[in-house]
Amino acid sequence: MATEVVLPALGLTVEKGKILEWYKKEGDPVQKGEPIFLVEADKVTTDVESPSSGVLSKILIPVGVEVPILTVVAIITEPGEKLAAKWMVEGPAFSTAETSAEPPVSPGERPRAKTGVPGDRGIVPAARRKAKEYGVDLSQISGTGPDGVILLKDVERVLAAESKISVVKASTLARKLCEKEEVPLKEILGTGIRGRIMQADVKAYLEGPTATAAGPPLGSTMPMSTIRRVIARRMSESAFNAPHIYFFSEVWLDPLLQFREEVLPVFDKHFNLRPSINDFLIKAVALNIADFPMLNAQLKGEEIHIMPEINIGLAVAMPEGLIVPAIPCADRAGLVEIIRHRADLVARAKEGKLTLQEIERGTFTISSLAQYDITHFTAILNPPQSGILSVGKTDEKLVLVEGQVRVKRITRVGLSVDHRIIDGTTAADFLQHLKWKLEHPAFTFMSL
Amino acid sequence: MDDLCIIGAGSGGYVAAIRGAQHGLRVLLIEKDQLGGTCLNRGCIPTKCFIHDVKILTAAKRSPVMKGADRVSIDIDKMVLRKRQVVKTMVDGLAMIMKGHGVRVVQGQGELLAPGQVRVRTMDGRRSEESVKYVILATGAKPGTPPFLSVDGHFVQTTDEALDPKDLPAKLLIIGGGVIGLEMAAIYRLLGSEVTILELLSDIIYNEDAEIRKAMRMLMEQQGVKIHLEAKVKEVKIREEKVEIDYENQKGQVEKLQADRVLVATGRIPVLEGIDVQKLGLGMNEPFIKVNGKFETNLPGVYAIGDVVGGMMVAHKASAEAEAVLANILGQPKRIKPELIPRCIWGLAEVGSVGLTEEEAKAKGRRVKVGKFPYISSGAAQAMDDINGFVKIVGDSESGEILGLHIIGQHATDLIGEAVTLMTMEAAVEDLAEAIKPHPTLSETIMEAALDWSGILIHKLKK
Repeated sequence: MATEVVLPALGLTVEKGKILEWYKKEGDPVQKGEPIFLVEADKVTTDVESPSSGVLSKILIPVGVEVPILTVVAIITEPGEKLAAKWMVEGPAFSTAETSAEPPVSPGERPRAKTGVPGDRGIVPAARRKAKEYGVDLSQISGTGPDGVILLKDVERVLAAESKISVVKASTLARKLCEKEEVPLKEILGTGIRGRIMQADVKAYLEGPTATAAGPPLGSTMPMSTIRRVIARRMSESAFNAPHIYFFSEVWLDPLLQFREEVLPVFDKHFNLRPSINDFLIKAVALNIADFPMLNAQLKGEEIHIMPEINIGLAVAMPEGLIVPAIPCADRAGLVEIIRHRADLVARAKEGKLTLQEIERGTFTISSLAQYDITHFTAILNPPQSGILSVGKTDEKLVLVEGQVRVKRITRVGLSVDHRIIDGTTAADFLQHLKWKLEHPAFTFMSL
Repeated sequence: MDDLCIIGAGSGGYVAAIRGAQHGLRVLLIEKDQLGGTCLNRGCIPTKCFIHDVKILTAAKRSPVMKGADRVSIDIDKMVLRKRQVVKTMVDGLAMIMKGHGVRVVQGQGELLAPGQVRVRTMDGRRSEESVKYVILATGAKPGTPPFLSVDGHFVQTTDEALDPKDLPAKLLIIGGGVIGLEMAAIYRLLGSEVTILELLSDIIYNEDAEIRKAMRMLMEQQGVKIHLEAKVKEVKIREEKVEIDYENQKGQVEKLQADRVLVATGRIPVLEGIDVQKLGLGMNEPFIKVNGKFETNLPGVYAIGDVVGGMMVAHKASAEAEAVLANILGQPKRIKPELIPRCIWGLAEVGSVGLTEEEAKAKGRRVKVGKFPYISSGAAQAMDDINGFVKIVGDSESGEILGLHIIGQHATDLIGEAVTLMTMEAAVEDLAEAIKPHPTLSETIMEAALDWSGILIHKLKK
């Protein structure tokens, strides 16, 4: 029996994906669990495994086409099994798994060319190409050509209705530059007359961050990027679904800063590594979660799942938006491992080369604005997690110690929790113990 | 209180006034002379009137089919009168437009006292002070003369006088082989004067493409204009109703020339009357007023546009800057691309050009490919019986970007408009060839040059 290979739900954040590479050709044998294609979604790439063993008889979605998740991308048949007629089509007869109860192609309704050759679906080649390029479901198009043949303008009409094309107006030089730099024209905001995309717009897009650093001009309107849309949806989902409560505490940082100074040469000498305050923070938080497993919980329906691994996510700010790669099993990982992991993840986050797993595995998040002149802030939970720690700047403060005025370096940390599953006392306990751990580094980081 | 005061009602000032009024600003426009400034009164329009007249004369005289053409001549007085009528029509039209837009026009000398403070001295000596939010300085430029020359208006003239001639000099000597010099040379040569040009640089119209310069020089020499390059004028004396000029030639030897009149066309200098640069602390880019990309001076709320800020001294640049400055004042940032400002010459042949010359493009390290088409191969040019000219396209060989377009020949100044439009819209050279051109017209020559650029020329012998 044939198996439909779908673009899997690549996690909560992902709505669409693009196949970057097919590891197998049509006709190749495949084993269940064997990676068969590489998909890119939301700046991460991941391998997708074959759902069954058999023969990859039909690839429906070619490399480079972006399709919604759950789209059927290929068909695996058992050896000797004949491919069902409905898949004997050229191009993307897109169908999502949800709607695949209805065959996407119903030959009876489909206008056919006079020849009636299988695969020739009464579509002019230009229309077919365009439909393929934009992922148009051909079964939804009624042709206006002779004998109902689908013409290019029919496809364009559908695209225009979905405002996928015709909004892309660009100068010849802008088009050429896009082709040369392999930039999709669709993603560029045109600033010319009536929104025409000019060369300068493509250059600004290519320059990326430098262009955004200046900020968009006042009074301008721009479409949300995919990553921005995901952030927007997730943040409002979190803010409106999870009742947040916030707790703040001041952490005396001198002992940790001093501890770090002492161990720096050792790390440098033995491992050629330089631990940052964040690395100690990650470790301390992970150890504290081990003591308070509720902070590793996720609410799923009516059940509270205490996640088996303590994976600490670190919010990394990028021009396009925030991304949160997580260090796995940080409670059990040594500092050296944490430093290496953290440095690698942050670097790859900035290059957009994280895997999906790396950003999906987090069970608790740390968000630091310590480099800014921000005393403290409240953070929104990164769903489905139920705890997030916010870190402000470190200040020097005058304090009385045994009647003596002393200078202490103080950092304010904030904890946001999901009040549906974590009560104030648990959160307060967690934060207080974290404070103790950070203020007593020798005890906390005894086993390196 | 007015929102916007503009000093100078030339091509920059009046456009700014209309745009300001259209956006609901209360506008005060101060002009010491006539609306329309240099372009309308002492520049573009008068020159084009004369050029038109002398071209008709020349066409008639050269016509192989017309009878009695050798007896045709121009009545100078009528030529000047026609020009005055054209100018008057345009100036009156402008006055109506100002009135229609509710622009308050005051005739007098405008003075910038301080940012937001302007004084007007009218011709009858009355003074009034005005407070405004924004001031645009659009005072323009005037003929500049070398220090050793004194313009007497008769023996030694500038364009101000030469465009209002009472008679025709038998021998005219023009100092300066730039656009103005070439245009005046064309007018006077075709009227019948013997014309000599003394140019300080190594070529005439120095900022044009080398091939255009060469073609122009050849054409002028063919038509009897004498051109002395690298000629340094040392002394100009008036003796016995004649002008005597001493100049140093290319070899450093002093030579003498005699003429009935000298026309000084050595460039134009900014008009700063009413603008006390030092007292105001106005930033300068000597000798011009310094502005940034938004045409802001260093004084708050004070802008400057047109000839007074330097750059190309042409009316359409000033008008474009007027549009941009208003957009910036109104908070819709707009910049001007200097490389897209066309250059026009109405000389013995017309020149229309925009963008980089071949030499400039190469110097900038661009991968240059050139496409050309000669007028001689154009049916339209043949039918018009004027086959002197060509179109030259300088394109980026890889991207097809039109880096520059240069035309010399009949209607070059009209034809260049198409190139400017397409370059502004960022068309590639191939786009120039893509459009279907009406036949038989000179517009086909650009298309053919574009085809040549792509190596698929039709109307030319295979290389």
